[in-house]
Amino acid sequence: MRLSFTRFLKVLFAGFFIQTSWSFFSMQGMGFLYNLFAGADKTQRRKILKTHKGFFNTHPYMSSYIVGATLRAYDEGNISPDEIRNFVAITQTSFASTGDLLFWQTLRPAMLLIAAILAVKSGIIGPLVFVIAFNFFHLFHRIRGIYDGYRMSRDVIYILKAKRFTTVRHIFEILGAFFAGLLLSLGSLKMNYLLLLPITILFILLLMKRFSSVLIILAVLLLIIIMVMV
Amino acid sequence: MNFILLSIIGALIMLDKYAFGEFGISQPIIAGTIIGMLCGDIQSGIFIGAMLQLIFLVGLPIGKDIPPDGQAAGIVGTGSYFLLRVTNLAGHALCLALILALISAIIGGALEIIARRRNERFFHLFMRKGKHLFIYHFFGLIPAFLKNFILILPIFLLANYLIIPRQFPELSRDLLTIIALSIGFANAIYLFLKKSTVVYVILGALCGLALLVF
Repeated sequence: MRLSFTRFLKVLFAGFFIQTSWSFFSMQGMGFLYNLFAGADKTQRRKILKTHKGFFNTHPYMSSYIVGATLRAYDEGNISPDEIRNFVAITQTSFASTGDLLFWQTLRPAMLLIAAILAVKSGIIGPLVFVIAFNFFHLFHRIRGIYDGYRMSRDVIYILKAKRFTTVRHIFEILGAFFAGLLLSLGSLKMNYLLLLPITILFILLLMKRFSSVLIILAVLLLIIIMVMV
Repeated sequence: MNFILLSIIGALIMLDKYAFGEFGISQPIIAGTIIGMLCGDIQSGIFIGAMLQLIFLVGLPIGKDIPPDGQAAGIVGTGSYFLLRVTNLAGHALCLALILALISAIIGGALEIIARRRNERFFHLFMRKGKHLFIYHFFGLIPAFLKNFILILPIFLLANYLIIPRQFPELSRDLLTIIALSIGFANAIYLFLKKSTVVYVILGALCGLALLVF
């Protein structure tokens, strides 16, 4: 069985639903099974069900690499259930941490920051830039992940050293830092910087001290109430 | 726009958060733009969306951690602003919409935990029967949609009929900009300031100052 275009499309489409049934017990367990089923025949499905019924969790965009590699392993058929289970267990954590660092912690906030600045200055351009640029990277990993996973099979983990992860992350860290500095110029010279600085320092301290995010939102709420009352 | 229709659209947009696709359209800046477009004032939608985006820039859904629902805040904030503005002053509407947005972010985070616990049942049912994977997996869309709809509908219902008393404080766009910029800057510094990137933050600030002056 090879990775035909129709088979690829089925796996890609199923990948968009990987978190649909996310639960604390199995996390993306059912989503991963559904994603594998999309690219498997009836005999393979029986084997997949026996081997992967349970816990699975990785970064949703990175799951395509693991799905591609797992399907290749089933196509080759010379791998035991224990080996394949170990392979999935190891790769899911590696891809999860890389994906979280790349997308949730760097690429998405950096792009949202750029989009917010552009939106305030130029209106609709900001949201448009975000949707196009973010989904370029998002869909790139979803699409290439299936192909590269299938091509590299159990060696797919070595792809984490590729420039698409390391260099892209570094570039967006720099862009994020640059636009963080630029953010201050969003207002105008008339803006009350004496008011802005203490609030900024307060929230940096709250974030650095790792206060719970609910508490931080409550602090924002309190701040707004105090400021509109004054 | 009708508040029920707006609630349904909002709940559907929020499915993008994790249940389908994750294309980023549920982020406050995009959701604000879409709702603004539907309500006939895209500029206000973009502005409120961008401000809420800066406030919710840090919200990392890593592992089992479920942070406050910034996506819910974006939809509730912009949607209730447009509904409140019909019968109230813009300053009153903005103030109440922002308060409702922040409260809904906290409630949304809690509701998400309930929705995901509900998915556990589908998983156990699937484990017991060992078949109908497609059905049990896609059942997950129901709690995801209902959670969003249950959160948004009462707030939009309230916003649609509420007349805010004159004594209620007003929030100007300038004040909201200061608050959102401060928190956005704090979020950005927390995420991006490292020894290796200090120089780029300074460079960005200098470029910003140059833009301001010239």
